[in-house]
Amino acid sequence: MSPERHIRASIALVALFLAAGLWLEAMYGLRAEGWLDDPLRREFLRLGHAHGGLLGILNLALAWALERLQTPAGWARKIRVAALVGAALVGLGFMLGGLIHGPTDPGLPVLAVPAGAMLLLSSLAATALVKPDDAL
Amino acid sequence: MARPWLASTLLFGPALAWSLAAVAGLVWTGADASAWTELDRHGDPVAGSDSCRSCHPAQWQTWHRSWHRTMTQRPEPASLGPLALAVDPAPEAEAEGETGQAGVLAPFAGEQLDYGGFRATMDRGADGVPRVLVERLDDAGEAVVGAPVLDAAVALSVGSHRYQQYLAYLDRGGGEGELHRLPVAWHRAERRWIHMNGAFVEPEGEDGSLADYERHLSRWNDNCIFCHNTEAVPGLDPGSAGFRSELGELGIACEACHGPAQAHIDRHRGNPLRRLLASSERGTDGSIANPATLGPARESEICGRCHGQRIARDIAAVMREGDGFVAGDELASISRPIFADSTIAGVEGLDRGRPFAARFWPDGTPRLSAYEYQGLLLSPCWSEGEGLGCGHCHDMHGDAPDGQLRAGRTGQGACVDCHRADELGGAEQLGGHGGHGEAVDCLGCHMPRISYGLLEGMITHRISSPDPAAWIGRGDQPDACTQCHVDRSREWAARSMSALGLRGSPIVARPHADEAAASRVVLDLLGGDPIQRNLAAHALARPGATASLDARAAWIADGLEDEYPSVRWFAWRGLRSLAERMAPNARRAALLAALERFDYLGPIDERVEVVTRIRALVGPAPLTDDPELRERLLSERQALAIWIGE
Repeated sequence: MSPERHIRASIALVALFLAAGLWLEAMYGLRAEGWLDDPLRREFLRLGHAHGGLLGILNLALAWALERLQTPAGWARKIRVAALVGAALVGLGFMLGGLIHGPTDPGLPVLAVPAGAMLLLSSLAATALVKPDDAL
Repeated sequence: MARPWLASTLLFGPALAWSLAAVAGLVWTGADASAWTELDRHGDPVAGSDSCRSCHPAQWQTWHRSWHRTMTQRPEPASLGPLALAVDPAPEAEAEGETGQAGVLAPFAGEQLDYGGFRATMDRGADGVPRVLVERLDDAGEAVVGAPVLDAAVALSVGSHRYQQYLAYLDRGGGEGELHRLPVAWHRAERRWIHMNGAFVEPEGEDGSLADYERHLSRWNDNCIFCHNTEAVPGLDPGSAGFRSELGELGIACEACHGPAQAHIDRHRGNPLRRLLASSERGTDGSIANPATLGPARESEICGRCHGQRIARDIAAVMREGDGFVAGDELASISRPIFADSTIAGVEGLDRGRPFAARFWPDGTPRLSAYEYQGLLLSPCWSEGEGLGCGHCHDMHGDAPDGQLRAGRTGQGACVDCHRADELGGAEQLGGHGGHGEAVDCLGCHMPRISYGLLEGMITHRISSPDPAAWIGRGDQPDACTQCHVDRSREWAARSMSALGLRGSPIVARPHADEAAASRVVLDLLGGDPIQRNLAAHALARPGATASLDARAAWIADGLEDEYPSVRWFAWRGLRSLAERMAPNARRAALLAALERFDYLGPIDERVEVVTRIRALVGPAPLTDDPELRERLLSERQALAIWIGE
């Protein structure tokens, strides 16, 4: 993934989860029953909105850091993919897990959250550790 | 050396490994029979309501707000004594009632209640435990004489909604494990002590008779224990006739309706993936009962276990080991509901072969509370368990603790889900269905208040259509129409039904001769049996009842002179309610002041004095202009004592 495409995709991710926040706010304002009366759904939709938005911003910071640290192109390309997919999985995993949930726990999509978190952690670790001369 | 795989492995490997592990775990859990199979939970231990809280916080909160939870409580610092408790949750931090003490509504600060020739003093022992002391009064009823006849430390409290009763360990032949209900209770609404004889439908006892005073000093271990607690085991030892009672949990907790939960907890806490998969299909978890997915019959049987008095199939086994019922079981496998013609094996000849008949109206409709399940079974909506169940109108996890009614299922909301608006004969329109309009909803006529319980007139759960024409000539049962049209006769009601085009039987019988002189409800108040008199007094005071406040006040005041304390209670409360709605003037003020001095449990001479004053204020008693009929009705009252076997 090119640096430019990473930045554009990160901004799109932020926009997507900010729009989700607008939706949640509208549901609150309109007193939507499935939102107000369902604490588990509220909690997980909020988690998805907050994580998705913040991790989108984290991707922007990561894009800047990869340039600044002159991370080798082979590593940087894969780090960008992992970070972007990780952010999307965390945000969407929370939101979908809250939308389709059972009596006590979120739905199956929440299993995507740990996978996304691992991708992000790996990306951050690689960004911090890989040096300009660590070519693949 | 180029290592192109290294970056991919480090970046994507952990997430890929997690994903593969999660998928494998889901597949394994889905295929694992032990994670899904129906478990036999009979005999399982109770896990306790606190163990449900972390996974079901919303349901736990609604239960915690309910009257079910506080049905039986242990007042701190009372000792639990010989009673074995599987789960004893920490006492509530927030106290209720007058005391600041969790589990106790009454003050227990030295209050006294004189009744029936005895004085009860409610205070606390040196250790702070609530105590009830009963002493005999002298002939003048002023000073105590002799040693106390009862000195009991409260071990448990029962109830918290209408009145709170108290239990104490008293060895009366059943060993040190015997808990007995004390003869006085705290009436929450009136914030006063009452004697239990006043809470039951029965005539006054003999003044100074200890046996009459202690009529309701009944044993808890083989009676109240069942429906006021979770997983009760009386523990009767047939050899010694003593009790070693055990409870799962005090009060009606989660497992009373869902069954023992330990297997459910083990299954779901041990494997989080099982919880995630539980989301995918409702009602497939064989480790717990969810009444909402059981269907109307099984679901209603869970409620009917307590809200429908019944007879155990094997009484001796139940006394030893409890009834063994687990939510989801067929209730008929362990007991049968009591109906008017039910008998008890071995004593079929008891009370002319119909020992329970007095608990039902002549048409078989229950006339006491705690028979709601029977009412449902007798309703056309029941339809052999395929129609209406308790959960249609009631929601144990809703917002309203009183009645626990499901949102949207009050008033006509209870009916319109099944009865389409265009099938209701105009009932859905304002002014339709006989012009009742908005003042009367479906329940007013189809579930009238013709049941008595806990010093209240309650709606019947036998759903039916009023048919006063079928009961013309009879005075032994109230009907929906004249319970609101309190100034009318049954014949009037029957003719009105016909005139309004409402369905009903043809009028063939001759009207009751007495109805020419007074309305059906007034006749009930004067000459009905005690429950009819209770309900007549209750009906006369209701806001929607016809007739002027003044007329109703004059009629209802007759109940203040009744020989049954419960009738006097209804009449006193009803008259106070009517007076409060009268226009403010000197007469109203004098009436309220007189009522303030009336104690329905007080000495008869004091009551007579106050009633004389009240009568002068409200006008002549009903049928004063027909003294012969009045005397006949009063003398013909059926002195029907009913023992409510809770």
